[in-house]
Amino acid sequence: MIPGSTASACAAVLQRDLTLAWRRRGDIAMPVLYALIVTTLFPFAVGPEPALLARIAGGVVFVTVLLAVLLSLDQLFRADIEDGSMEQLMLAPQPLALLVGMKVLAHWITSALPLIVVAPLLASMLRLPAAAMPALLLALAIATPLLSLLGAVLVALTAGSRRSGMLLALMLLPLCVPVVIFAAGAVAAAQEGLPWLAPIAWLGAGLVMAVVLAPLASAAALRIAMES
Amino acid sequence: MANWVPLWLHRLGSPPVFYRFAGAVRPWALGLALALGAVALYAGLFVAPADYQQGDAYRIIFIHVPSAWMSLFIYGAMTLAAFVGLVWRIKIAEVVAMESAPVGAAFTFITLATGSLWGKPMWGTWWTWDARLTSELVLLFIYLGIVGLYHSFEDRRQGARAACFLVLVGAVNVPIVHFSVNWWNTLHQGSTVRLVGPSHIEASMLWPLLTMMAATKLYYIASLFARVRADLIASEGGKAWVRELLTREEGAA
Repeated sequence: MIPGSTASACAAVLQRDLTLAWRRRGDIAMPVLYALIVTTLFPFAVGPEPALLARIAGGVVFVTVLLAVLLSLDQLFRADIEDGSMEQLMLAPQPLALLVGMKVLAHWITSALPLIVVAPLLASMLRLPAAAMPALLLALAIATPLLSLLGAVLVALTAGSRRSGMLLALMLLPLCVPVVIFAAGAVAAAQEGLPWLAPIAWLGAGLVMAVVLAPLASAAALRIAMES
Repeated sequence: MANWVPLWLHRLGSPPVFYRFAGAVRPWALGLALALGAVALYAGLFVAPADYQQGDAYRIIFIHVPSAWMSLFIYGAMTLAAFVGLVWRIKIAEVVAMESAPVGAAFTFITLATGSLWGKPMWGTWWTWDARLTSELVLLFIYLGIVGLYHSFEDRRQGARAACFLVLVGAVNVPIVHFSVNWWNTLHQGSTVRLVGPSHIEASMLWPLLTMMAATKLYYIASLFARVRADLIASEGGKAWVRELLTREEGAA
């Protein structure tokens, strides 16, 4: 790679974020632990009856993963804004949208990928039938980057504000409704033995749109948030 | 187009001019809204015939449907204002977008409340997870998120710009939410009033509905202008025209 080219800049941002995350390995475990604990609470709340648990398993796993991603999103740009590296990224000759896209990718690898890895465990704790497992994993693999991208836009908007945690939830969760509907719909269809590729295809269409639009929107939102 | 139209619009972008314009329009809009609303309510509650199936219970339509139209119309108006504000950096447009959000949230809430009152006798339940109800609820949350983001910034102008951007993000997402929820589950009756083709509604029921629609539009204008005036005074507090306004009012009192 030629030094100073767009590709090498993207690779550098990705490598930096992954290295930073690796230096603080404990933080990577947090969303996973959170998802495990929330999933454990459900049998206590609704009762340990296997049929009931199997019925709600897909939905519970999705909502849990959504909340875990939401909690980790808050950190996406914060450290960079506090130590000034965000300004450097904005001043860089490379397009900000691409660099922000790399940051989102790094965030997805460090916080959403571990969640996908433990998802089969969460699902079998709730007695999800093994037949529905491929649908669950495929839906998660498409839905989590979608959530990360959508979340990145909103986190960028709250970057300049004082209180962001609850506000982020208020802004992000309504926009996530389609993702939850299609992802959980695919798992429910697989559980009933129906074809489940159509909702997955809709999720994929959403992901393609988000990959194109969300980095541009995040970059614009960051410029608004960092104006003053 | 005559030259005075763009000139007038350009002048309207100045806060003191807009403040005076809004102050002049507001009483007329409010008066007309109340008068039309009273006529529509009287016609809807006493003149229009009872429905052959739903009896008198259907009469809540005269509140429910105009509010539902307004909840979407205000989002459209807000999106337009937010776009103009972000692209051309016109302060008034940003303020208009931000002050539309609470009014839109109020209409959305009225729609949900009257809908659940109507649902109890007709469907036998206050709330059901039907597509239209759910997307209206999501719309309410989006309105509240916009209001919340606007007020979470120390600097009002920056908050307005961030929230305007959220309005645009929401505008892309609202149709997606609507269609995905539709795909998910539906029970609500289809639309009875159409712009194109014949409406499925009796003329004696239609005209009070349309009158009420005009009344809610005028009420939106009146309420929006009052809010924009208050916002302008608050955010332009240090400027000369506000000080002049205050000294003149104190002199009159």
